[in-house]
Amino acid sequence: MSSQGKGKWVGKGLKRKEDLRLLAGRGNFMDDIRLPNMKHAAILRSPYPHAWIRGMETSEALIPGVRGILTGEDVAKMSKPFSVGVQVPPKYYSAAVDKVRFVGEPVAVVIADNRYIAEDALDLIEVDYEPLPVVMDIEEAIKPEAPILHDNIGSNIYSQRSFKYGDMEKAYKEADLVIKGKFDFPKYGSTPIETYAVIASYDPLTEDFVVYSNYQGPLVNHLLVAIALGIPENKMRWIVTKDIGGGFGTKTGMYPYIALITLAAKKTGMCVKWIEDRREHLLASATGTDRVTYLEASVKRDGTILGLKDKVLDNTGGYIRAPEPGCAYRSTGNHTGAYQIRHLDREVLIVGTNKCLTAPNRGYGCQELYFSLERMVDMIAAELGMDPAQVRFKNFIQPDQFPYTTATGGVYDAGDYPKAFQMALDKIEYKKMREEQHKAREEGRLIGIGFASIVDPSVTNMGYVTLAKTVEERQKEHPKSGSGESFIVEMGPLGKVHVIASTNPQGQGHDTVISQIVADELEIHPDDVTVSNVVDTHDRVVTISTGSYSSRFASVGTTALVIATRKVKEKILKIAAHLLEARAEDLEMKEGKIHVKGFPDKSIQVKHVAGTAHWNQSALPEGMDVGLYASTLYSMPTSKPPDELDRVDSSNTYGFITEAIVVEVDPETGEVKILKWASVHDAGTILNPTIVEGQIMGSCAHALGGSLYEEFAYDEYGQCLTASFQDYLVPTAMEVPKIDIEHLETPSPFTALGSKGAGEGSCMSGPAALGNAIADALAPLGVTINELPLGPNKIWKLIQESKRKESNGTIAQ
Amino acid sequence: MKLEGTHTFQAPQERVWDLLINPKNLEKALPGCEKLEEREPGQYDALLKIQIAAVKGTYKGKVQVADTEPPKRYRLIGEGSGSPGFVKGEAIIELSQQGQNTLVSYQGEVQVGGLMAGVGQRMLGGIAKMMLNQFFKNMEKELKSQA
Repeated sequence: MSSQGKGKWVGKGLKRKEDLRLLAGRGNFMDDIRLPNMKHAAILRSPYPHAWIRGMETSEALIPGVRGILTGEDVAKMSKPFSVGVQVPPKYYSAAVDKVRFVGEPVAVVIADNRYIAEDALDLIEVDYEPLPVVMDIEEAIKPEAPILHDNIGSNIYSQRSFKYGDMEKAYKEADLVIKGKFDFPKYGSTPIETYAVIASYDPLTEDFVVYSNYQGPLVNHLLVAIALGIPENKMRWIVTKDIGGGFGTKTGMYPYIALITLAAKKTGMCVKWIEDRREHLLASATGTDRVTYLEASVKRDGTILGLKDKVLDNTGGYIRAPEPGCAYRSTGNHTGAYQIRHLDREVLIVGTNKCLTAPNRGYGCQELYFSLERMVDMIAAELGMDPAQVRFKNFIQPDQFPYTTATGGVYDAGDYPKAFQMALDKIEYKKMREEQHKAREEGRLIGIGFASIVDPSVTNMGYVTLAKTVEERQKEHPKSGSGESFIVEMGPLGKVHVIASTNPQGQGHDTVISQIVADELEIHPDDVTVSNVVDTHDRVVTISTGSYSSRFASVGTTALVIATRKVKEKILKIAAHLLEARAEDLEMKEGKIHVKGFPDKSIQVKHVAGTAHWNQSALPEGMDVGLYASTLYSMPTSKPPDELDRVDSSNTYGFITEAIVVEVDPETGEVKILKWASVHDAGTILNPTIVEGQIMGSCAHALGGSLYEEFAYDEYGQCLTASFQDYLVPTAMEVPKIDIEHLETPSPFTALGSKGAGEGSCMSGPAALGNAIADALAPLGVTINELPLGPNKIWKLIQESKRKESNGTIAQ
Repeated sequence: MKLEGTHTFQAPQERVWDLLINPKNLEKALPGCEKLEEREPGQYDALLKIQIAAVKGTYKGKVQVADTEPPKRYRLIGEGSGSPGFVKGEAIIELSQQGQNTLVSYQGEVQVGGLMAGVGQRMLGGIAKMMLNQFFKNMEKELKSQA
């Protein structure tokens, strides 16, 4: 275990300082906000998946208490479509204008004195729909006969590109065999306990807009909304609540609702509050992106993977909105996973269907990628008669190869993949498990072992999304890059520290970790550090990458914090040097005191320095700013725009995860029982093991949901069948097995404390490992697993189909 | 959702035909039907109150009796919308004399959209069956009261 970055407090499992307040019911969530004269909005949503809006009659809905109605027609008059980084963007407004394209799409907003009146009034709006044929399947949508969603695009393909990295021709030539697979990744999402919520107000005199929300970032969407609404960015103030009940990526997709409620405020001239209900959330907020992947691997007989060729079809639903088509490109830098694969051909199609729109979903793009890649590794092993663990060992990037630049431009900072993988094997007693599996098979029991060994990217480099455009197209536009994070650290006159942060936490315990880091840097107690952590585009120093997403905090967040804190420390030492008449570089700060190295008596208390900085400003060195403040706005230096070969370091730090899962499948019912689940993570230096453990447990549970239970299902007519928790099955404590968590700590050389992001974690690897384990269990029956979720009904069906095939085969003989 | 089934009335075919085709009876027998007003021959404005699971609401719509071949066969077409979303459906109803009795068989398809589909879909099949049973029971009652 490395000790880099660790200190007296960093690395300790401190209890979260947020919890007492939250457990005592003193949180400050969106519904806790009560503003004077606040009105309430309810949204009318389309019951049709695809239909022309031929007319709308709202006069009946103007019942007592109703203050106004905003229709799609108003929205079209008052705003422009949202911009999105594809060649021919669909006209996506915050409400449907002349056509609806998915069930649940907003068509009107009623603003009333209370929500009850607003909801009642919704029933009185008459909309004349002319239903159109629907298309629900990704591959059906690109057929020429498919109904077209957007006439201005002319097909259901929102974006299309192909890429060549390395020399795939060479990989094919050198290969002994090519293995092919097709994989279906489902549409599932996150279901944060707090749904979307917006309060918007408009002052017609000053033309100022103030918006409260539980938006999770990035603030680039503040800009997108301002542009769409034609409001100067500085006239639209966004404030995010101190507490957010979970985000997981889903809350990056709420900006169209911020635009919608802001327009409702503008039209009525009132302060308007909207809290999304659970049904609305499941029906029409944002889901993960479902994907069809065709993957080919060219391999040698010894298990070496030479190259990959993939074609992915991502479904972004009725429209495409930013940050999509990010799902297809977020994993660019780590697209070849944990392996030394130098050749890759990619083809990307972003497709529209009459389904709910998408947003990042914890793991964004990586659970889709690794489900196909890690399933492929197991398929290679099966084809070659090798142990899947052996194939992984054969292809891993080796510890002495770091920093390792991938074929696609990712710069893997640090890791020891074989060691972490071995730890997972040991945890499940791999050899013994294989023997037990063998015995069980003889008894007719279906036991399977599955792995996924993946690279976990953290801190998005915003530039990656521009890969949707070709090199030539990019050259005509302004390049994009960056991963900036801001902090202000101040030491008060009595030596206590206050940190002004805008890391936008949604439950990750940032304030606790901030206190630990500052305590170590300034040799104080974490209890002497207070943190104010909110996003406010007027009262905070923020940038367009501000927000909590892509596991940013532990990498760029902590690095920015350390930089700001060290600036404060440097200033303390400069003032102390001035007061002690010594050189700053000769001073040492320890336990609240500063002394000249080797002269413990020649000292001054830190709080005395702090007092001087604030109270005796003339005593400071000439030219020095008064007080003890320091700020930083820091972007990782690795965040650069894509190059002329489409290579990009899409994230800035890269961790490693191995899942090793043992399952038993009941051949009668198709039910999966998890016997063992070992999850080994290398997120660099661990700042607070208690928080990391909570995040890993959460990501495993989330992965379990997507793999076995959760799916946004639609019927053939395009109706969403899963708009309540009765049908959208989120795993509960009853379904989540014991997870055996272990860490390897290979510090990142790119971050101040060696830490990397860990928040998305097993969401990326869990689905692949569960798929592999179930495939392994069902291997004796000749069943292939290439889709999720694997509920008992699906597994049972697969078992029956294979039995039927087998009996047909017997007859044929 | 496909709907299919039969019901046997203990009455001659002509009488059952008259029973089923009469809008007054249809209004009384259709569960949740608050109003069925003839707009023009064979076309009716309907108001239907429905509750499934936690979803409750009123559908306003049209019912049409078409392709009538008395006393053998007709087509029932309906569509409505309201706070629970929309419904639309079509069924072919056929009558045949079986001794003293009349066998009514129906075959149709119903599409449900919006709120009702999102939260009640799993129960819809069962509920449709229940409503149809109720419908025929009500018609039986009507038949007896006429006797």
